[in-house]
Amino acid sequence: MNKKEFLKSSELRVQTLELWLEQQWLIPEQTSRGIRFTDIDVARARLIHELKNDFGANDEGVDVILHLMDQLHELRRALAQLREDIKGRSF
Amino acid sequence: MRNPYEVLGVAATASAAEIQSAYRKLAKKLHPDLNPGDKTAEEKFKEVAGAYDLLSDAEKRKRFDSGEIDASGAERPQHNFYRDYASSDQGHPYADTSGFADFMDTDDAFAELLRRGQRARANRRGQDMHYRLPIDFVESITGANKRLTLPDGSTLDVKIPPGLVDGQTLRLKGKGAPGAGKGGAGDALIEVEVLPDRRFTRDGDDISLEVPISVTEAVLGGRIRVATPTGDVTVTVPKGSNTGTTLRLKGKGAPHRGGGHGDELVKLKVMLPKSDPELEAFVTNWSKGKEFNPREDRI
Repeated sequence: MNKKEFLKSSELRVQTLELWLEQQWLIPEQTSRGIRFTDIDVARARLIHELKNDFGANDEGVDVILHLMDQLHELRRALAQLREDIKGRSF
Repeated sequence: MRNPYEVLGVAATASAAEIQSAYRKLAKKLHPDLNPGDKTAEEKFKEVAGAYDLLSDAEKRKRFDSGEIDASGAERPQHNFYRDYASSDQGHPYADTSGFADFMDTDDAFAELLRRGQRARANRRGQDMHYRLPIDFVESITGANKRLTLPDGSTLDVKIPPGLVDGQTLRLKGKGAPGAGKGGAGDALIEVEVLPDRRFTRDGDDISLEVPISVTEAVLGGRIRVATPTGDVTVTVPKGSNTGTTLRLKGKGAPHRGGGHGDELVKLKVMLPKSDPELEAFVTNWSKGKEFNPREDRI
């Protein structure tokens, strides 16, 4: 989706989006027709919004949380991959 | 849904600050994105979030307290959480492997397994690119070869198949963005816009156009030139034709899916010449013409 569609489905204001892009909290794909957002960006924007507004995290807090969370997700994926790879093997 | 005060574990007299603090405490424990491995947390979180939505809104809380509304319908609308994307298998820009980079540096089987997962993402297929291409009506019927200039200055040759309709999307395999590693290029998706035509309109596989004829041609019949998507043809106007009389040119329409073509419908429209004393004199003395009432059956 393009910027306009993203703003609509994430219910963000354009200034907020610019700020989050600058912080690299959101990293939409760069294409020859401008930036394009996908569903993962919408879900991530919603999460950031909840961290800031519902959980009272400040910008530095959001930074730390996102960084740790992305590592956690990657670890979970590596673990799941590992489980697939060793399926059926005995030790 | 349970009583929202019970869900948040606060008294009915709790202040807004107490409610927020109770919610934050529970949400941190239950938020699906902060608990990606806990499948039961999601249901509980939804209940807690719904209760908070109700009680954090002073107006809604007042209406709930006075019994005007109940807690039903307070659940948040269904949506996917970040974890649903971030833990799935496709590569995404937020993936961060620094949490186990040290494990990958070693030379054992475990490191190899981790590296394999990374390579799978490194060989990602290129992105599909979307373009728009306007074409003329006639080109949409007969087909055409078009050249699309891309924003980066390169060009793309697009073959328009005959009979294409407005809004149809053509997929050019492998003409999208290049992939990473061994991943192939994405596709180019071209949405074709058929520009409206002054003369022709389309109805399914038939096309129609209006053709003006003179009174003489209408009364006595005659041969006229009529435009079709493949060039002009000569058509016989039968004697006694009228405005609205439709002539069917077989096979001059858009191609059918399974072979054959639709038709071109030529709708005749009788036109009077600019005011002419001779015509007026004739009509004045034309008694049969005065007896004819075309609105007879309409009351």
